Amino acid sequence: MPTLTIDGKTVHAPHGTFLLAACRAAGIEIPTLCEHPAVEPYGGCRLCVVDVTRPEWNGWNKMVVACLFPVEDGIIVDTRSERVLETRRVVLDLLLARCPETPLIQALAGSYGVTKTSFVLNPEPTDCILCGLCTRICDRMGISAISSVDRGAGREIAPPFKEPPPDCVGCLACAEICPTNHIRYEASDGRRRIWGKDFEMLRCPRCGRAHITVAQADFFAGKNGVPRSYFETCDACKRKELAATATKLAGGASTPAVEQGTR
Amino acid sequence: MRIESHQQFDAAVEAARAAKLSKGREVWVCCGTGCLANGSRAVAKAFDERIEAEGLQASLGLYHKTTGCHGFCERGPLVVIQPEGLLYTKVKVTDVPEILEKTVRNGEAIPRLQYKDPVTKQAVAKYEDIPFYKHQIRVSMRNIGRVDPEDLDDALAHGAYSGLAKALFAMTPDQVIAEIEASGLRGRGGAGFATARKWKACRKAKGERKFVLCNGDEGDPGAFKDRSIMEGDPHSVIEGMIIGAYAIGAHEGYLYVRDEYPLAVVNLGKAIEAARLRGLLGANILGSGFDFDLRISRGGGAFVCGESSALMRSIEGRTGEPRAKYVHASDKGLFDLPTNLNNVETWSDVGAIIANGGAWFAGWGTPKSKGTKAFSLVGKVKNTGLIELPMGTTLRHIIEDIGGGILKDRPFKAVQTGGPSGGCLPADQLDLPVDYEVLSENGSMMGSGGMIVMDDRTCMVDVARYFLKFLCEESCGKCVPCREGLKQMLHIFEDLCAGRGRPGDIERIERLCHAMQLGSLCELGKSAPNPVLSTLRYFRHEYEAHIQDRACPAGMCRDLTAYEIVEEPCTGCHQCTRVCPTDAISGKPKQKHVIDPAKCISCGSCFDVCPEDCIRFFPKNGSKEAANAHADH
Amino acid sequence: MERVPCTDLAPVDAILARYPREEPSLIQVLQDVQRAYNYLPCEALERVAGELGVPLAKVFSVATFYKAFSLNPQGRTIIKVCTGTACHIRGASQLIEEVQRRLDIGPGETTGDMAFSLQTVNCVGACAMAPVVIVGEKYVGAAKATTLATYLDRGE
Repeated sequence: MPTLTIDGKTVHAPHGTFLLAACRAAGIEIPTLCEHPAVEPYGGCRLCVVDVTRPEWNGWNKMVVACLFPVEDGIIVDTRSERVLETRRVVLDLLLARCPETPLIQALAGSYGVTKTSFVLNPEPTDCILCGLCTRICDRMGISAISSVDRGAGREIAPPFKEPPPDCVGCLACAEICPTNHIRYEASDGRRRIWGKDFEMLRCPRCGRAHITVAQADFFAGKNGVPRSYFETCDACKRKELAATATKLAGGASTPAVEQGTR
Repeated sequence: MRIESHQQFDAAVEAARAAKLSKGREVWVCCGTGCLANGSRAVAKAFDERIEAEGLQASLGLYHKTTGCHGFCERGPLVVIQPEGLLYTKVKVTDVPEILEKTVRNGEAIPRLQYKDPVTKQAVAKYEDIPFYKHQIRVSMRNIGRVDPEDLDDALAHGAYSGLAKALFAMTPDQVIAEIEASGLRGRGGAGFATARKWKACRKAKGERKFVLCNGDEGDPGAFKDRSIMEGDPHSVIEGMIIGAYAIGAHEGYLYVRDEYPLAVVNLGKAIEAARLRGLLGANILGSGFDFDLRISRGGGAFVCGESSALMRSIEGRTGEPRAKYVHASDKGLFDLPTNLNNVETWSDVGAIIANGGAWFAGWGTPKSKGTKAFSLVGKVKNTGLIELPMGTTLRHIIEDIGGGILKDRPFKAVQTGGPSGGCLPADQLDLPVDYEVLSENGSMMGSGGMIVMDDRTCMVDVARYFLKFLCEESCGKCVPCREGLKQMLHIFEDLCAGRGRPGDIERIERLCHAMQLGSLCELGKSAPNPVLSTLRYFRHEYEAHIQDRACPAGMCRDLTAYEIVEEPCTGCHQCTRVCPTDAISGKPKQKHVIDPAKCISCGSCFDVCPEDCIRFFPKNGSKEAANAHADH
Repeated sequence: MERVPCTDLAPVDAILARYPREEPSLIQVLQDVQRAYNYLPCEALERVAGELGVPLAKVFSVATFYKAFSLNPQGRTIIKVCTGTACHIRGASQLIEEVQRRLDIGPGETTGDMAFSLQTVNCVGACAMAPVVIVGEKYVGAAKATTLATYLDRGE
């Protein structure tokens, strides 16, 4: 297992893991905006920059992003060098100019002493920081209903043709992973609306709650080869059922519902 | 006919040479993009028709062939008569009969079509005596302008694929790599990474399936050497790639070519087809047992795809977003498989190095930068075009001796190298020998070999603004420092050029530059500050003039500049009125003209055409109010 | 986004037939579609997505990322003004203004009668002839505002 030094601490980290995990395991806080355990690292927000050096480099060090840098034996990491902090400050300053009204960015920038941007304010303030979490989670679900559109300064996240996305199943994964709450949706009893697309909901036959879109149930059923009826019961009711079964089992009774419950 | 052994290859080369020798005389017409634009296709057709109609092949042993770019694009269409090596420039269809009659039949020169040295004003008859050519040493461009890119036999007669035959039949892959190592060849795309080291890493990488790629996404504005190589001598690129694949152990390759280079795509496609038919590509190449095939992938028009990881994503059919390169492409590149990527010029050098030996190539250059290097010499210089020179040649030699000095003999201000990743070098750096290290140490870069010469009428703040605008459009937008940083930097520069600069701007620029260099994901963002930092380093006074005096010393920033016609010696020649796009200039013939400031848009067209130098520019009034208004808000 | 309806997808199918049905074909196919229609019709993108097995969102992403593609129909003659460095310092911006003045369209726009589109290109590699304008297929080297007019005749 590689042994490295982070901010003076000796840290062991398994081969094939990234520096960010090693830092966090050692209790060292590193700011991130585009990182999430559910998706592959991306390296877009650049907030997790750290300095890396080795004794034989004679004082030369390189700046890397911790989320993508694989741990190596013998490296010495400085997560709070002046140039690391300054780079993070400029990145936050830039993000604050882009998203001046976004609480998460205001708070993070504030914690680095940036309370007001030194750059030109975005004339159309947005909450989208283009972290790519929404598109990555959508890809991860195997749906890919939304993507990045255009490039450079004009880049944005949108569905194809900026119309209600045909592939979207209304699972809300994008909205839930969005760190700034930029992706909005509406939910009223029995209906859901996201990306301008309306979805019909399935009601749980047990509790009557509208908990999943029809499209989502169809998608997962088609993808996993599981009968659609499996998705009809909501998770809460499934858990209740499982608990009831377990109690019965503990009491000595046997029921065929076990298989379904443990899937 | 398919060539199936070393012996058959030698025989094919012999036959091609004999066929070439049997053609007593040849008329070469350049059909590179530049000459085509000037009408060379029609000239070529006219030669074809006359030779055919008059039976000149039989009577004079005269043949016609079209070649790739000679590099002297500005003077096109170019015609060379061989074996004498007579060069005619700016040839028109109507000149064809006269050339055939006078020069070919009677050996008489046509002075009107000869090149005139802009310095000595003397006519120069022979191609090889023209200063633009005579200082050059061509390796990667060895056959451009000499071979017909559509004729594989012509290429064979000029030595194409002899390096490949040598590698396949007389060398092991390790020996090939050792030869490249001995040559000192470094990446011609700009970064200058040692080619042999890259090949070794990829050869060592685990995995059966490996790729060799050619980066033909020459995106640096102002550079076009790769275009000319791909168009004019596609076989040199293909040969290099097969040799590289043999050394690495790869059997598949892609040529990634800019979509803006349609002729390169066509010529490469034809060359691949021809090479396949003759057994130079595909299974069992030349009967050696080595298999390798090649496909063309057309880029979609994105500068960032010149970056290796973005290029690979693009070949995969995705958006060109770079990835972190903590794991090298030699281990995980295209389709996550071991991949070796080299630039067009690098690949073109390979065949010649194997044929002639690494020591031959290393005989030119500086201690760390060996061999020769292709450059495109453009901008405000008398002779513009494509050149190849030993590394270590001074900028002065290139600009003054080959380029013939500055257009209209105006003062030299700077030379920009390395495109949007490079910088501007001022007059007192002209004696620097050009190599990778020297350029980097002085704030510029080798890049794709573009050299854009600038005179006193080029504003260095505007040049930096130009590159920022370019990069702002070309950034992929994935990472914050590049996407947001470029946008903000461009804001500052647009203000500077419009007279809205504020104290503290230079410091804000510098802060942003450093964060972008350190924090950006890929080389596009990391090197984006270079044009800014190099102009700040050498031309800080121009920045200060824009901020403090609201003046553009070069008279290029329109919001800061006004024009007037001075009394003497305006002769009322009307040249300025003809070019003025807004009809702002009036005056009777042979009387002094005046510019109406209300109509004038300060484009400077009149200044550039005035034969008497009687138009002058000065800082525009009124910009101070605009500045104050800005400061208030 | 406004959709311009396109009903004839036969050219798209002909193009698709020339390439393997896989993601790496995407950009190559779109290049050919762009050439065939002078733009990328929405329906064509949907067909390409379906046939290559690439999510429509990815196809849209690629179609908007690369400059070679356009989602709006282009004019019959496309005027490309090169804005490479050599062209820039030799006056490319004056050429753009000249086209703007004469045709009343900015970069990226098309005249109302669909006769012309104006585009800027980041270097076409013909720097030795700067400034360069490409009108249709014709390269005009050492272009001047005064001579550009001859190429902007609608009669052509």
